[in-house]
Amino acid sequence: MKKKILAAILTAAMTIGMVGCGSTSSSDNGNNSASNTEASSNELTVWCWDATFNIPAMEEAEKIYQKDHPDVNVNVVETSWEDIQTKLTTAATSGQTDTLPDIILMNDTALLNNVKNYPDLFADLSDSGIDFSKFASYKTAIGTVDGKNYNVPFDSGVTALYIRTDVIGEAGYSIDDFTDITWSKFIELGEDVLAKTGKPLLSAQAGGPDLLIAMLRSAGDSMFDEDGNPNFAGNDVVAEAVEDYETMVDKGILVEVNDWDQYIGTINNGTVASVINGCWITSTIQAQEDQSGDWGVTTMPRLDNAPNATNYSNNGGAGWMVMNDSPNKDLAIDFLKNTFASSTELYDTILPTTGAVATYLPAAESDAYSQENEFFGGDKIYEKFANYGAEVPAITLGQYWEEAKSALGTALTQIQQGQDIQEALKEADDTVSFAMSE
Amino acid sequence: MSKRKFVYFGKYVFLILVAIISIFPMYWMIVSGTNKSVDVIAGKILPGNYLMENLKSLLDTTVLSQAMWNSIRNAVVSMVLNVFVCSLAGYGFEKFHDKYKDKIMSILLLSMMVPTAATVIPLFRMFGKMGLLNTTVGCILPTVSTAFMIFMFRQAAKSFPDEIIEAARIDGVGEWGIYFKMFLPIMKSTYAAAAIVSFMNAWNSYMWPLIVLQNENSKTMPILVSGLTARYTIDYGSMMLAVTISTIPMLIIFFVLQKNFVEGITGSVKS
Amino acid sequence: MKTKKRKIMGWTFVIPASIMIVIFNFVPMIQSFILSLKRGSGTNMIFTGFSNYKRMFQDKIFKMTLSNTFIYLILEVAIMLVMAMFLASLLNDKRLKGKWFFRLAIFLPCTTSLVSYSIIFRSLFSVDGFINTILTNLHLIASPINWLGNTWTARIVIVLALLWRWTGYNMIFFLAALQNIDSSIYEAAVVDGANAFQKFTKITIPMLRPTILLTAIMSTNGTLQLFDESMNITNGGPANTSMTISHYIYNLSFAGNPNFGYASAISYVVFILVAILAFIQMKVGDEK
Repeated sequence: MKKKILAAILTAAMTIGMVGCGSTSSSDNGNNSASNTEASSNELTVWCWDATFNIPAMEEAEKIYQKDHPDVNVNVVETSWEDIQTKLTTAATSGQTDTLPDIILMNDTALLNNVKNYPDLFADLSDSGIDFSKFASYKTAIGTVDGKNYNVPFDSGVTALYIRTDVIGEAGYSIDDFTDITWSKFIELGEDVLAKTGKPLLSAQAGGPDLLIAMLRSAGDSMFDEDGNPNFAGNDVVAEAVEDYETMVDKGILVEVNDWDQYIGTINNGTVASVINGCWITSTIQAQEDQSGDWGVTTMPRLDNAPNATNYSNNGGAGWMVMNDSPNKDLAIDFLKNTFASSTELYDTILPTTGAVATYLPAAESDAYSQENEFFGGDKIYEKFANYGAEVPAITLGQYWEEAKSALGTALTQIQQGQDIQEALKEADDTVSFAMSE
Repeated sequence: MSKRKFVYFGKYVFLILVAIISIFPMYWMIVSGTNKSVDVIAGKILPGNYLMENLKSLLDTTVLSQAMWNSIRNAVVSMVLNVFVCSLAGYGFEKFHDKYKDKIMSILLLSMMVPTAATVIPLFRMFGKMGLLNTTVGCILPTVSTAFMIFMFRQAAKSFPDEIIEAARIDGVGEWGIYFKMFLPIMKSTYAAAAIVSFMNAWNSYMWPLIVLQNENSKTMPILVSGLTARYTIDYGSMMLAVTISTIPMLIIFFVLQKNFVEGITGSVKS
Repeated sequence: MKTKKRKIMGWTFVIPASIMIVIFNFVPMIQSFILSLKRGSGTNMIFTGFSNYKRMFQDKIFKMTLSNTFIYLILEVAIMLVMAMFLASLLNDKRLKGKWFFRLAIFLPCTTSLVSYSIIFRSLFSVDGFINTILTNLHLIASPINWLGNTWTARIVIVLALLWRWTGYNMIFFLAALQNIDSSIYEAAVVDGANAFQKFTKITIPMLRPTILLTAIMSTNGTLQLFDESMNITNGGPANTSMTISHYIYNLSFAGNPNFGYASAISYVVFILVAILAFIQMKVGDEK
C-alpha cells in the first residue's frame, strides 16, 4: 500500500517535472529572444524594474515603434536593479552572454563600473545617428566613456526641495523664503520652523549618504577627482557639506532613521516638513492623498562657500543600453533611436501616467510639462524639474561609485560617533583605494 | 495531582507566550496586506478594507498566478526528488556503513561549507555548457542531492533498529523491500520533517533560479517579490499581500505533514 | 555470495546522491579555488598565486566581518539549540492539548518571507517602535534606544532575529527525532522513580545525540554563512559593524566592481573555518 502511494507520488513528480521542462523549453523555442545566440527575431527583450514607472514607458515606446514596424514586439521582463546587476555580472564573468536580453536599463551610477569591467558587453551608440546633444548635458556625460556614447539617457533624478507649505506657513514663511537659498539660510529657517511648529525640516537614512552626495554634486564636486581617485580628505567641499549635515542633525532639523521604509514614513506621516530628493520621489509623496494641496516644489539650497555652488543637483536616474552580442542589436538601436531618442510624443504620453521626467530636452517644451498639479497647489512641477535639469552640473561619477558611497556612509556614521572629520574622511579614502587596488 | 496541574498550567502559559511572539510578525504581515500603502507605513496593525485593491494592483502589474504555479511546481518536484535520493543515500551510509562510506560521508559534508556566492559562477558556466540554462531541469537539478539531507537521514537512521533489518532478511525480504516497506513507513516523522525542510528551501531559493531562469513566465515568487520592492514608490500594501500569498503553500505543507509527528517506533515494532 | 550482493546494494543506495554532489558542488568548488588564485575583473583574469589570501590581512572590513560573524556564532547557536530542544520536548507530550497549534505557531517564523520579516523587525526596533514603547512603559529604559543605530544593539537585534526565525526550524528536527525514541524507555525510567528533569538529561539528551550533532553542524554552518539578516535588517550598519562575511563576499561579487578572485579566497577561509568546527563537533558527537 505504502509502496503504491510512494510510486504514485514519484510518478506524479516525474511527470510534472517532464511537463514542466517540456513547456519551458518549448516556450523558449517559441520566443527565443531571451537567448540571443539564436537567429535574430522581431522580438526585443528588455530588462527594467518598475511596473509603475519605466515598464509602462517601455510599453508605450513599443506602441509608438509599432506604428511603423508592426511586426516588432517588445518583451519586458520585470527585474529589480540589484537582480539585473547580479545577472549581468554572472553572465559576463562566465562568458554566457547569450543569456542576456537585447536592451537593459542601467542605473547611472553603475554604468562606468560595468562598461569598464566588460568593455565588449555593451553596444557603442556613437555612430548610431542618435543626437546626444538633445539630452541634458549632465546625463550625456554619464553615458560617455572614453569618448563613446553607451546609453540613451532616460529619466531624470534632478533634485528639488519639496516643502509643506501649510507647515512653513504656520511659522510665518512662504515657499519664496526657501527658494534659491544657501544651506546656512536653510538651517536658520529650519531652527525657526522647528521652534514654532515642532517639526524638523528633513529626514535621511542613517549611514546613507545620498543627501550628502547630492550636496557635493550641486557644487560640481564628485567623490572622485579627475584621475578617478577618491577625493574625500582635504576636500573643502566635502568638509563643508559634512559640517552642514552634522549641524542639521545636532540642531534636530534633520532626523535620521534607519531604513528606507521609515524614511518614507517620515514623509507620509507628516513627521517632517520637507524632502530633498530626486524628482522620482514625487509619486511617493503623492501617495498620501490627505496632504493634497499642502506641498510645494522649489530648488534645493546651495553650499555657502564652495566655489561652483548651484541650487541644482541630481540623485538617481537611469538610461537604456543595448547589448553588443545581441543578434537584434541593429533593431534594438533603431528602436531606441525612434522612441526614447526622438519621440516627444512618447514623453508626453508617459509623463502623466508614470511621472517619469525626461532628460530629452525637446520634450520639456510640450504641453504635458506645463500641466498644473493639484497636489502641489496648482504648481507646474514638471516644468520646474525640466528647468532644473538643464542647470545640473556635469560630473564624472567614477567607476568605484558604489564602494565610495559605502565608505562615505561609514565615515558619516563615524563622525557622528565623535571621530574627527578629516580623520574619518582619510579612512574613507583608504577604504576606496584599497578596493581599487584589486 | 495539583502539582501536576500547576506544571501543566505553567507549560501552557509559556507555550502561549512563545506562540504569540512567533505569530505576531505573521499577523502583522497578513493585516498589512489588507491596508493601503500609507497606512502600512504608518504602522497600522488592524485589518483594513483595501485587500481587493491590493490584489487587483498585484494582478495588473505582475505575473502572480504564473509565478505561484512555477514556484509550486519547482518546489514539489525538487522536494520529492531531494527526499527520495537523499533518504536512500542516508540509509545506505548508515545501515551499510564501512570505513569507506564513513569517509565519503564526511567528505560530502564539506560540500555545504563554501558560500554560494563563490560557486555560482563556475556552476553557471557548467550549466551553460550543458545547455541547461533557462530550463526547469537546470533550475532543479542542483537541489536534488544535498549533503545536509543525506546527513539528516543518516543521523535519523541511527535510531532505526538493526534487528528489524536482520529479521526481514531472514524472512527473505530484499534490500529494496526493506527500505520501502520497513524504513520508509517507520521513519515517517523523519520523512515529514525532511519534506518540510526541503520544500521550504526550494520555495525560498533565490540566487540560482534568478540567474538560471530568464523569462518573465518562468519567474518564481521570491523573484516576483523582489521586483515589487525595487519600485521607486513601493506599494507596501500589495507587497505584503504578495508575501502573504507566497507563504500559504509552506503553511499547507507544514500543516499536512506535521500530523506524521506521532510516535514512530514503539515497543511493539521492536518485538 | 549474499554479503557481496549486499555490498553492491549498499553502494547502489549511496552512489547516485554522491555523484550529483561531486558534479554540482565539488567541481564548482575546485574551480572557485582556482579563481581564488587569480585577480582582475570581468573575463580577463590573471594567475597571481596567493595574493588574494595575503590581501585579507590588510583588509579592515574583512577583519570586522570575521569578528562579527563569530560574535553571532557564540551568542546564537547554543541558546537556539537548547531552546529548540526544550520546546520540542514540551510539544512531544502526549497529554498536551492543541499540540498542532503550538507546533505550527512556533514553526511559522521560518516560513515568514524575508521581505516582510525584515520590514517588521526594522519597524519593531525603530526609535519610535513597539519595543521601545514597551520598554519605556515598563520603565526598563529611560529614553528610547536607537537599536539599529548602535553597534552592539544592532548586533543583538540580529541575534534576536536569528533566534526568532530559526528556533522553530531546529525544533522540527528534534521533534522528529523524539518520535523515534522508544517510549518504553521512559516508562521504565518512571518505574525506577526518575523525575522529569532526570528523564530529560539521562534519556532524552543522549538519545538525541545524533540530532544534536546534526543541528549543531547545520547552525554553525548557517551562521558562518549568514547573509539575509545582515543584508536586510541592518544592511551591515552602523559603519559595517554588524556586517557578516557572506554579506561582504556578496558585496565584493555583485554590489560594486566584481572581484571574484578575492571573494572566492574569502569563501575558502569560511570553508576552512566551518570544516574545522564541524570536524571538532563530529569528533565530540559522532561516536559509534
